[in-house]
Amino acid sequence: MEKEALYHPLFIALLILLSIMLLICLIRAVKGPRVADRLVAVNMMGTMVMVMISILASLLKEGYLVDICLIYAMISFLAVVVISKVYIGIYEEQHHSPENGEGGTTDERG
Amino acid sequence: MNAVEWIRLLVGSVFLVIGMVIFFTELFGVFHFKYVLNRMHAAAMGDTLGISSCLIGLMIFSGLNFTTLKMFLIIVFLWFASPVSSHVLSRLEAATNEHLSKHCEIYEDVEVLERELIERRNAESKEESAIAKEKEGSLS
Repeated sequence: MEKEALYHPLFIALLILLSIMLLICLIRAVKGPRVADRLVAVNMMGTMVMVMISILASLLKEGYLVDICLIYAMISFLAVVVISKVYIGIYEEQHHSPENGEGGTTDERG
Repeated sequence: MNAVEWIRLLVGSVFLVIGMVIFFTELFGVFHFKYVLNRMHAAAMGDTLGISSCLIGLMIFSGLNFTTLKMFLIIVFLWFASPVSSHVLSRLEAATNEHLSKHCEIYEDVEVLERELIERRNAESKEESAIAKEKEGSLS
């Protein structure tokens, strides 16, 4: 019983700290001037959410939440890779069209 | 609560606090640096070191069961996934930024870089040999 009383406040404090950090990460994702900035911030947010899910699994003593964490890791990795590839493809399509070297190559940021 | 459980609590919370400190450093680095390729360096630290120390703390808390094994699996997966995603992100930045040379040196060809490195090394070794000769001269 007293063991619970020790672990519970620790986990709650860590969850609060992590959620504050998550909000700061979100600020970076909104501000980031380039696409890669935003993707880096989203990657960081994914990592923090993984830690939060694992802490919740320990707090609630529900082992299956760690499975969800594992799947979250895989999906966030896949999302970063796929979005990067798609964005590279779109960029090359826009900027290396057959009549390249004309005024069409504007400086698009983000 | 016996002594072993107290030690477990202490060691686990130390690992968790180390993980939090690393996450804070990551955030500070991401806001401190000015360019994506620098920021990525700070952000990749939390992906591997931060989450692995947090999960090691939780593994010490939960003891030896299947949950521990799954957490270890997450750490191993992220060790492989994080460098790959950083690589893909930096390729995205290098492919889409037209003013990359403002931020860092660019070598069009790998051979140019290799030649420059060899020249630099030769110059250094010449300097070193000159210094060594001077020392020998002063000694004798």
